Amino acid sequence: MSKPQKLEIVLQPPLLYVKPIWSFSVSDSLMIQLCAVSKVYPPTYQALSDVNLSIDPREFVFLIGPSGAGKTTLLRLLYRAEDASAGDITVNGRNVGRLSSRGVAALRREIGLVFQDFKLLPTMSAVENVALAAEVAGRSARDSCKRAQELLDQFGLGAKCRLKPPALSGGEQQIVAIARALVNDPVLVLADEPTASLDAEAAGETMRLFARMTDRGITVVIASHDGGFSERLPCRTAFLENGRLLDVTNLAKEAAL
Amino acid sequence: MAVALFVLAGFLLVEENIHRAVAGWGTKMQIFAYLDGNLAADAAKPLLIRVAAYPEIETVRFVSQNEAWESFKKSLGSQSGVLDGLSAEALPASFEIALKPSARDPASSAEVVRRLRAERGIAQVDYPQEWTEKLDLLLRSIESAKWVFGGVLLIAAFFIVGNAAKLAIAARRDEIEIMQLVGAPPGSIRFPFVIEGLVQGLVGAALALLFLAVLFHLASAALADAFGMFNMSQMRFLEAGMAAMLVLLGCSIGAAGSFFALRRRM
Repeated sequence: MSKPQKLEIVLQPPLLYVKPIWSFSVSDSLMIQLCAVSKVYPPTYQALSDVNLSIDPREFVFLIGPSGAGKTTLLRLLYRAEDASAGDITVNGRNVGRLSSRGVAALRREIGLVFQDFKLLPTMSAVENVALAAEVAGRSARDSCKRAQELLDQFGLGAKCRLKPPALSGGEQQIVAIARALVNDPVLVLADEPTASLDAEAAGETMRLFARMTDRGITVVIASHDGGFSERLPCRTAFLENGRLLDVTNLAKEAAL
Repeated sequence: MAVALFVLAGFLLVEENIHRAVAGWGTKMQIFAYLDGNLAADAAKPLLIRVAAYPEIETVRFVSQNEAWESFKKSLGSQSGVLDGLSAEALPASFEIALKPSARDPASSAEVVRRLRAERGIAQVDYPQEWTEKLDLLLRSIESAKWVFGGVLLIAAFFIVGNAAKLAIAARRDEIEIMQLVGAPPGSIRFPFVIEGLVQGLVGAALALLFLAVLFHLASAALADAFGMFNMSQMRFLEAGMAAMLVLLGCSIGAAGSFFALRRRM
């Protein structure tokens, strides 16, 4: 079966791989599309200004920028933790701003989220933390547990799956969080500074896990203040500063050219 | 929650018993219509039939001069000697009239008295007008106070449960946030909190009724001494229907308080 083609007219030099606002596209073929998105925190703090960005399915994208650049805000808009002040956001064919609370929940079941502070429940074991997301998506408790166990085995944490998060290292907790993000076979994984609290070895292992996700057909967007990984991994990089998207580059593509 | 429902249940208990006691007084209230001394003995019967036909009147009893005389003597007891030398003709025959419960308000009573006074053969009509009015005022006050106090306490209970839900939400904020992030539907996140509120209401109402029942039984003897004018044998605990309603109310307030507190925060 052939992959559906995206109908698109890009009026920018293809080298920069920027899809500006005046490009015409069938958004169904894009995983993420932001059109003139702005976010203002009261009273006047402009966290994002007129951001335009398109991300294809199975792309691996880094959002790079210093603290306060708007990376986390942009991710939070994508999973509708907050509403945009202006502009349109489409994720997996859904206009995020128009979703009801049920619609937001349904969207989040299609997305895997990973955070710097892991956001694991300390009273539940690793396998229970992972299974929780599967149960929420409608799987039976038994199926959820089985699926969680399989993922933790794949990530080399099978032996520690009965331990609770406080008994695991930071890297292991992040692997549990990644397993939870993947348990419902998401189409998109959003990660906010996923390696910020990990040592270099754990951070490298975590990034390799993310890089392999695109092989499973998952789109990955990682927000990070550290651009080092983006230079080493085959990904597209979007640079944010003071809430503005300065540039979008595909380093792997540029290197090939 | 238990305290609010206890106060509410206590208020209803007191209100119900006062209402019962006051209604008991009402049944004892009578109108006395004294017959004209010149009324022929055979004219009293048609008059009695006519008065008994008033729609507001429940019963009419004819008290003859002799019966009134004996009754008066009896009421004087050892002092009845003062009546020596007098005869039964000194007292008039009368009708003792009891009104139907629906006609025991001041307006209906006054109307009956007006019509009795217009009857030929009735010389004088006595009825406890002041008491009737006071009784009516008391009953109306109790009725109004029930709604005012009841309403205030219900609102208080609602907010107490809402605050308890807020505390529960704060204590489990991380859990709620994680459930939201993994895409749990809002209803499934709220459900345990709403059930928690419902159980709180159920337990609160049950505890309130239990404490009130214990207090009622301990205090009823003391109340009997303090308020001898009440017929204490008429004092009753809340009826089963009322108790069930309070439990249902507790559950509803508990569930609704949690639901609305969550709705504003999720």
